[in-house]
Amino acid sequence: MGQKKALEEKKSYGKFDRLDGSHPFKKVLPKGFIDYPARIRRGGKLKYFNYDLAKEMGLISHDHPNQMNPELEDKILETFSIQIINEYDQMKNRSFPKDEVKAGTYMATRYLQLQHEDKKGRTSGDGRSVWNGQIKHRGKTWDVSSGGTGATRLSPATSKFNKFFETGDPSISYGCGYAELDEGVATALMSKVFNANQVKTEQTLVVIDFGNNISINVRAYQNLLRPSHFFMYLKQDDYKSLKAITDYYIDTQREKKSWENCPSNKKRYDFFIRKMNERFAKLAADFEDQYIFCWLDWDGDNILMDGGIIDYGSVRQFGLFHYEYRYDDDDRYSTNLIEQKSKAKYTIQTFLQLVDFVKNKEKKPISDFASDPILEDFEKIYEEQKNLNILHRIGFSSRRAKQLIKRHRQLVEDFRKTFAYFEKSKCDKGMQEIPDGITCDAVFSMRKFLREYPQIILVEGQWLDDSDFLEVMKSSFASEKDLEINTYRKQKIRDFQATYHELIHEVSKIFQEKEHETLMEIIKRSNIINKSARVTGDSITIIVDKILNRSKPYQTDELYELFDLITQSQNLDPDIKLNKTPQKPNQKVMQMISIIEEHREGL
Amino acid sequence: MNLVFYSGGEAEENLSLDKRLLSLKGKQPLTLTLIPAGSYFAEEYYQDIVEQYGPLGVSRILLFNIDQAFSEAFKRAVLRSDIIHLGGGNTFYFLKHLRRSGMLKELKDWVQAGGVLTGLSAGAIVMTKTIHTASFPDFDRDDNDENLKNLSAMGLVDFEVFPHYKNSKRYDKELMKYSLEKEGPIYALPDGSGIVLTDEELSFVGRSFCFLAGKKYSIHK
Repeated sequence: MGQKKALEEKKSYGKFDRLDGSHPFKKVLPKGFIDYPARIRRGGKLKYFNYDLAKEMGLISHDHPNQMNPELEDKILETFSIQIINEYDQMKNRSFPKDEVKAGTYMATRYLQLQHEDKKGRTSGDGRSVWNGQIKHRGKTWDVSSGGTGATRLSPATSKFNKFFETGDPSISYGCGYAELDEGVATALMSKVFNANQVKTEQTLVVIDFGNNISINVRAYQNLLRPSHFFMYLKQDDYKSLKAITDYYIDTQREKKSWENCPSNKKRYDFFIRKMNERFAKLAADFEDQYIFCWLDWDGDNILMDGGIIDYGSVRQFGLFHYEYRYDDDDRYSTNLIEQKSKAKYTIQTFLQLVDFVKNKEKKPISDFASDPILEDFEKIYEEQKNLNILHRIGFSSRRAKQLIKRHRQLVEDFRKTFAYFEKSKCDKGMQEIPDGITCDAVFSMRKFLREYPQIILVEGQWLDDSDFLEVMKSSFASEKDLEINTYRKQKIRDFQATYHELIHEVSKIFQEKEHETLMEIIKRSNIINKSARVTGDSITIIVDKILNRSKPYQTDELYELFDLITQSQNLDPDIKLNKTPQKPNQKVMQMISIIEEHREGL
Repeated sequence: MNLVFYSGGEAEENLSLDKRLLSLKGKQPLTLTLIPAGSYFAEEYYQDIVEQYGPLGVSRILLFNIDQAFSEAFKRAVLRSDIIHLGGGNTFYFLKHLRRSGMLKELKDWVQAGGVLTGLSAGAIVMTKTIHTASFPDFDRDDNDENLKNLSAMGLVDFEVFPHYKNSKRYDKELMKYSLEKEGPIYALPDGSGIVLTDEELSFVGRSFCFLAGKKYSIHK
């Protein structure tokens, strides 16, 4: 590369310098974080860089090739390969060369976490991560934070043992301030797939590998605040801080189009609660219907304010409706897929309490809000979303789904009920322990059924008999006993087919087309929506294991390309016309797709 | 037996061949099933097939991925189609999964029973007796990532096909050499051309070539 070009390119990476630890949050809530000086951490190798995200954030130009160069690599490492100089370092009077110490300071934010005994958020928050800063580009604001940058005083270990830990202290695992490479790479892939399918989620910008499965994992999102950042002040009865963070959040959201009607006076809080309610009610329905396991709980951790997914440690996408799965977090089990709704609703109840406190300066018990009309709205929004979702899953376009709900709501809800009967059927063998929790397998694969059934009836032109119906629907977990046909099940099979056919019939009537044309429309869409080889948590784990244990390690660009190709294959949106011509799959990609297919019904 | 061999190319290039195919089945409406060579981007491929055959009167089109689990009821529906179209892709991968899923035999029986089988590129190759033609020339071949040893395919015809043929010396050299090792003819098909085989005749659509015993013949201009 010529000197001039190199210099130009180097200059174009100047935006990384804005990620120097500064963030407007620091001024808004001086008590909301611990500020740490940081030093450069040597010895890291760039493992993954998300070019698409970096372009969206304006960190690199939109026409930058998806190809690493030494200048860019240096810049990434210089920006993100840092380690905080924590309380332990300071107690030991450790000194570091001046040129190794970063100019800025980096905040570890405080938020509520149920695993801390305090239960009020006085000791909890970013235990092993700090915020790199904020960046604005083309009307979007991005928060950036890094996991694995050192042990903060907000880790569970410090809270539990009442002492500060050295970063990397081998005597403790969670709390030593390091992040894991496998978790970082898994998050990078899963969040990329989710993001491509319009699931709100943090995204991985960078993964830096330090060997021995230790890494720094850099995440970005348009707002990294979680409900737990707010609930902490509610628990502590800290009106001033609660109002400050709420106002800060509303102000940042008002810059977005969806919040442009937000009033600027006191009514802004009502607008805020309505927005939160809408988001969390829809999220509860979407997570259930997409089989996304995300541990929601009273602390408002593990989720972002707009319902985006954060902290992929326990996040999964199931292949079937394994609703009995619970993650084992050592001393407690997580919520399950069905309980996510009540937790999302409780989150809104807590926000109701919060808004009331902010408006009236007096905190009322949370039970006072159990019958608030907003929570009735929550149920309505949830139900509406479930109706839309089931029709989407069948393969109806949004326009057709809306018409069906408008004219035949009861029919849609009847179908949903019968669908749920099959979807929730559990295997007779019952609960089992698995490496990271407990589960009970689902008997039926609704996704497979929704893919095959319209195609079968398009040819056969008639209902399936009971045994064929179950044969199409059964999952690989189903035993003979699970597939027994009793009178009740017979009736359910009849109900299912009757309502399914009626839906087709009604749509063809509304849109004045022949039923086979309606079916063809459905088939085109349901093949994509319900594609067999959809990633599950299990498949991601195995893929990451293959990647990290390959004898010839994946280079940064190679890994990016692999993730890009896997992500393209995971498109579940029938309305997206892929603008890239799919490349002929190479062996590496096919190997990963085979893994996804093999574990399609897993957790 | 009714078979149609497509080389490849854009939908418009294959219009004549499509029309010949549909003339083999007089009745309407027609049902066609696409069996892609692999499920990777099969849904997008399916959309293309719907756009290609829909306007020609094929009103019912199914997608059947054989490298994924499927129900018996679905397979039965597929085998009730008027036309089954074997898609393009990696020939080795396709053959492996045709064999593994049991569809290699099922399709042979279905053809004997009167079904119209069509194949494009890899799909055309698997209809012949062997998929050797997918493995050369070095500059334009499928990778045998599956490490498939047994390359014998459906064996519906006694010739082999070489799709995406380009009328050039370097292709000819390879094909002439290969034809010396083989007994039957190898039909080399440029994109847009193809072969229609019925009980009565073997006919060519578009410009086609034959390589036999080290010699090249132009069949159709």
